[in-house]
Amino acid sequence: MRVTKGAKIAAGTALLALGVAACGGGGGSSSGGENPRAATGTVYIRGCEPQTGFVPGNINETCGGTINGFVYDRLVKYNSDTAAPELNEAESIETTDNKVWTIKLKPGLKWTDGTPVTAKNYVDAWNYTAYGPNAQLGSFWFADIKGFDKVNKPDPDGPDGPKEAPKPETDKLEGLEIIDDLTFKVTLTAPEAVFRTKLGYTTFAPLPEAFFKDPKAFAEKPITNGPFKFVQWDHNSQIIVEANPDYTGPVKPKVKRIVYKMYKDDNAAYADLVANNLDFTELIPPSALAGDKWKTDLGDRAIEGQQGVIQTITFPLYDKVYGGNADFRKAVSYAIDRKTITEKIFNKGRTPIDGWVSPIVEGFKDGACGDLCTYNPVKAKEYLAKAKAEGYTPPAEFPIWSNADGTHKDWIEATVNSINQVFGPDAGFKFVHKDMPTFAELRDTITQHKIKGAFRTGWQMDYPHIENFLNPLYRTGASSNDGLYSNKALDEKLHEADTATDPAQANALYQEAEAMLQQDMPAIPLWSYGLQAGTSKWVTGVKVTPFGELDPLSIAIK
Amino acid sequence: MGRYAIRRLLQLVPVVLGTTFIINYMVWQLPGDPFAGRCGQRPCPDAYVTAMREQFGLDQPILVQYWNFLKNLLTGNLGVDFNNVSVASQLADAWPITIRLALMAVAFEAIIGIGAGVLSGLKRGGFADNVVTISTLFLLSLPIFVTGYVLQWVLGVQVGVIEPTVSEEARVSELVVPALVLASLNMAFTARLTRTSIVENLRADYVRTAVAKGLTNRRVVGIHLLRNSLIPVLTFLGTEVGNMMSGAIITEGIFNIHGIGGLMWRAINGQDYTIVVPVATLLVLVYLITNLLVDLLYGVLDPRIRYE
Repeated sequence: MRVTKGAKIAAGTALLALGVAACGGGGGSSSGGENPRAATGTVYIRGCEPQTGFVPGNINETCGGTINGFVYDRLVKYNSDTAAPELNEAESIETTDNKVWTIKLKPGLKWTDGTPVTAKNYVDAWNYTAYGPNAQLGSFWFADIKGFDKVNKPDPDGPDGPKEAPKPETDKLEGLEIIDDLTFKVTLTAPEAVFRTKLGYTTFAPLPEAFFKDPKAFAEKPITNGPFKFVQWDHNSQIIVEANPDYTGPVKPKVKRIVYKMYKDDNAAYADLVANNLDFTELIPPSALAGDKWKTDLGDRAIEGQQGVIQTITFPLYDKVYGGNADFRKAVSYAIDRKTITEKIFNKGRTPIDGWVSPIVEGFKDGACGDLCTYNPVKAKEYLAKAKAEGYTPPAEFPIWSNADGTHKDWIEATVNSINQVFGPDAGFKFVHKDMPTFAELRDTITQHKIKGAFRTGWQMDYPHIENFLNPLYRTGASSNDGLYSNKALDEKLHEADTATDPAQANALYQEAEAMLQQDMPAIPLWSYGLQAGTSKWVTGVKVTPFGELDPLSIAIK
Repeated sequence: MGRYAIRRLLQLVPVVLGTTFIINYMVWQLPGDPFAGRCGQRPCPDAYVTAMREQFGLDQPILVQYWNFLKNLLTGNLGVDFNNVSVASQLADAWPITIRLALMAVAFEAIIGIGAGVLSGLKRGGFADNVVTISTLFLLSLPIFVTGYVLQWVLGVQVGVIEPTVSEEARVSELVVPALVLASLNMAFTARLTRTSIVENLRADYVRTAVAKGLTNRRVVGIHLLRNSLIPVLTFLGTEVGNMMSGAIITEGIFNIHGIGGLMWRAINGQDYTIVVPVATLLVLVYLITNLLVDLLYGVLDPRIRYE
């Protein structure tokens, strides 16, 4: 299903949270009439062990990110149905030129220790994250704010080299200015239309005074400002959060307590879900997806939707042998039967895309790929002949790399077969699937630009906007431009879009930039991730965010 | 026997030193930077990578790292893992659960396995023998994850007599089914081993003498036959204990038990050597000590064996 505009996303993505029938499908160990959750007000959701403590600027993975979203409120939040950014802690975010932003907080917001949420909390938190020696994972998010180059100095020879990064001359971002208790001003280095949308990302959360006294202890048991407060973290086993009684947001939590139960194996979580011991999981294991078994098991407790994650295959453009040329990459794209693969391998759990952007984000425009992302064996061969005529000889064996610790083997093998079938045995080369043992090793090889072959890339959006699928991936020198793609015209178009003052115009420019990727096809778009989740029969009203996480304010006990 | 035990204990020192060095060296040799995969599709900020390498001493040469490791191990300071969580507290959480599960599984193996083995060995070719042979064949041909998933789905989801997964506390009652699953394969081995050993010893001279002396059947089997027949079984069970202390990754995964197996698995995947190395070291110790105990037990069971 394809959707074009934010307004339609509600219907299109259909993150339907279906109420749970009292005697719904599946068996159950606790099949009595009494709802065991009602007495305690506690619900249990699937979790995993976070990689870092709960300092928003240092979290960049979903295990910690989920809980982080429950306990911290930010200036902006994304609507669970439409993915549109809405004001949350901010009363107003104003700008005339997209460069200087005046942000006013709502009055009466409180931290769980009773202190008020102030403009200073935001400014201090952002300064802390941006300051180089604090080594926060989210530091680069503040690179657009004026003065970032004075608080965060790059290591002259990278982390491998012997030289150390010079000490920054200051620990305060010049572009952050406190006006009064509830107002602060942000000055960017250049206009940026999407800045307001970005403010909903984890890293832009505030931090209370208490954090700065003992950051280490705080990370284990944070004081927060969100709808839930942090109670307890038993490493490798569970995290408990409780409804924050002082929460002033318009929607209040409907449950008293959420237990984030950690599972090592998705199958175990799924067995618990079917038996109604677990109230929510957003990871239905492949064994249950096969043949739509999960829908029979769960009945109307099954939730289907879309999330802002896409899968692509990227080529190392810096490599003469494996980078291919534009026509070769187009030929490969024509030769991939996305529809059959998503149906057979993923049981329709993924949707073929014909652009480089997730269909659920603001600014998405259908068909950015032209017909390049449609299966067409005739054109594939035509473009292959063209590529060869231009002087490119593909190596006898062309690998597509993935990491063996993820579940990528099946679809890459199907993709490889699809390509080989189209080009035929006489093509003089064949595609093969190759694995590196771990994700770390794969990423290491990719970022050192030593990879010999194409490789799988996935992009999970940080915030629901078309810009997030273009700037970090295809701009020259961008942080995740793994194939080292460089196109001056595209860079200029992106810059033009970044600095446009009218959001609608900015989106149109981003769409033009996306369509320009057709020329060189630096990465081949494949499909966008669906979302499969399930609930127990004890809860109701469950919504899943476009990030594939539980909306903690939606879950209620029957 | 005391001197023998001390000698064996002293031998542990070079073995532990050697194995820990090899473990450290191998972890060091692993391809890929442990911090490369931590930021998903984005490279991690340089400052973060530098700070982490400095904190964990990864910028030092391997011998210095090994020396620091030994120093910390001897002072009982295991430090924190890459997620900045205390390694010692994680071990303290996981290990008791693993030990409980392992002991229960070994107990099942010993009681059911030896019982079935004795029963079938004494009445060779009889009905009980056939039942044991067929059922052990069945167990041996089932991989553990099949037994595990089937029992979980049938007992936990369909019938609902157990919870499909084990709770945080991992109470003994909850661990019965996982322990049975874990024990299933080796229970069959134990039964077969006991049976063969019993059958063999039944024909031995000392058994015939005991019977000829007019001893009761119970005494012949219980004291004379069993004591001798259990020696190979004991060796097997001894190594089993060592094996199971290292955690049962598959069983722990199926029933979501927060034991050592899962901790190790996560650490290996994340190349978190701060957990892999101490756990592996402790496992080496557990292996060596259980082996020593088994050797010492031989002397108790078989009076012909004397240690000097």
